[in-house]
Amino acid sequence: MGYFGGIIILLCINSIAAMGVSLLTGFTGIFTLGHAAYMALGAYTTAILTVQYGVHWFLAILAGGVISMTIAYLIGIPTLKLMGDYYAIASIGLVESIRLILENWQSLTKGARGYPGIEGFTTLPVALIFLVVMTIGMINLINSRYGRAFKACRDDYLAASLLGYNTAFYRILSLAISGFYCGIAGALMAGFMTFIQPVMFDMMKSTELTSVVVFGGLGSLSGTLLASTVITLVVELFRPISQYRMLIYGGILVAIMVLRPEGIMGSWEVWDLSKGLSFVRTKSKRGGNDGLS
Amino acid sequence: MGTFAQQLINGISLGSVYALIAVGYSLVYSILLFSNFAHGGFIVIGGYTCYYALRSMGNNIWVGGFLALLATGIAAALTERIAYRPIRERTDIKLYLLIASLGMSIVIENLFVVTIGGRFRALPPVIPTNPVRLFGITTTSAFDLLSMVVAVIFLTGLQLFIKKSKWGLAIRAAACDLRTAGLMGVNVNMLISIVFFVAGVLAAVGGIFLSVRYTLYPQLGAITIKAFVAAVVGGLGSLPGAVVGSLILGLAEMLTAGFISSQLRDLVVFSLLVITLLVKPTGLFGKEPLEKV
Repeated sequence: MGYFGGIIILLCINSIAAMGVSLLTGFTGIFTLGHAAYMALGAYTTAILTVQYGVHWFLAILAGGVISMTIAYLIGIPTLKLMGDYYAIASIGLVESIRLILENWQSLTKGARGYPGIEGFTTLPVALIFLVVMTIGMINLINSRYGRAFKACRDDYLAASLLGYNTAFYRILSLAISGFYCGIAGALMAGFMTFIQPVMFDMMKSTELTSVVVFGGLGSLSGTLLASTVITLVVELFRPISQYRMLIYGGILVAIMVLRPEGIMGSWEVWDLSKGLSFVRTKSKRGGNDGLS
Repeated sequence: MGTFAQQLINGISLGSVYALIAVGYSLVYSILLFSNFAHGGFIVIGGYTCYYALRSMGNNIWVGGFLALLATGIAAALTERIAYRPIRERTDIKLYLLIASLGMSIVIENLFVVTIGGRFRALPPVIPTNPVRLFGITTTSAFDLLSMVVAVIFLTGLQLFIKKSKWGLAIRAAACDLRTAGLMGVNVNMLISIVFFVAGVLAAVGGIFLSVRYTLYPQLGAITIKAFVAAVVGGLGSLPGAVVGSLILGLAEMLTAGFISSQLRDLVVFSLLVITLLVKPTGLFGKEPLEKV
């Protein structure tokens, strides 16, 4: 497989997780600082099911996704029915609690030293197939009735609820689906690393996921994928100066918010770009005409 | 009985330190309606300024403490000026402010990691930590009593500032409605700078006490999550609520640590958050009816 293949697999995993966060933060407008918790849930579920119970890895991955989704749903009910930063605060609490449980439930998770001996089922084809299927699923979701409801909740929840959307339901649904994506990503991570540890899924990982979505553009799926690629590669390239990595992340986050809060892509998708350019052109032409008349 | 009284005092003392942090966070929330995640950074700035002031200017806690408070207040106001004001002036979307504050918290934390290093440091022994015998019932640390007294002094000072001074009146008006307060002739930018300065000063006091309690390291700011939870338990944006919530949290944490397991204390904090949101989402003192979606 080699180093290069490894990076591609990592890229696929990070992209799947980032898509989950993108759905929640980019398309539904809910801030999260704890999505690594769902990755941890997925990873540990898969690891325990395959190693301890001999479940086939494919089923175990799906189980990882479903467990994360369930937990996300349960956390969503009390926090997302309220407007305000309740979910953001709860998400930090969640990621810390999950880490504590994983570290202290020795008999099940083997504690802080990590869970060894997982089958290396995440090969390059597996990772690529998962990425393609999950991306197609996400594109369809975003362009569906549900996707429009998510965006409506983000842009104006009052108007959305006046139009008859149950905004609380859609916000919680969005969280559950994004939990599912992160759970799958975590499960694939377990199969790729063959060894998982609670510290792999800490606040820093959560921050990284949120940063990727912000870099890529809030509300752009292809932007998220692009940013995820760029960041995974940049992290690999700049391993020697990794102590500056977080500093640079933070600086860029602030700079993007101050200078261009829409991120690289804004709400545009790559496949809209040709359409977009012609749209910009016609708009400027029209603008010119208005100026003349 | 003795142990119980001891844990009670420990809990109140820890709670009073949380209160200093939670009140500053709540103050910012009441005006700008977003969670300032950089608040943890202010604590670290306070701790390190105090540490270096003590080291370089002789062990005088008055000088060191004053410098730490001043520096942190200024740093907080500067953070607002650099990162939040440009966003605030352009858009109403709170998500952008949240992301920028996350960025600032990463920047502050990692500035210390990169320049000073992630090593744990102990403040010079300027704050007495010797045991004190209390009413013949229990033994406690002078430090615990001192942190309670200092917290009471600062919180009373804040209360006087908010209730009696002209700027305090403006802050109360802005907490009701920032825009209207601006239309009535309050200099909103000045007001927000003052609010951040005050929040920074309180965070610095909390930071000094926390760095005596837990030693000083760049990730010390992560402890603000407990202050955030305390603010939610007491009612987001309410200052008395933040104080009461902090005391409840400090007591719950210390009693769990003392009588059940010290590893469960952080889980208890998170459960308290979820229970509050389920049972009484407005928190104990949340006055306005929350927007429920």
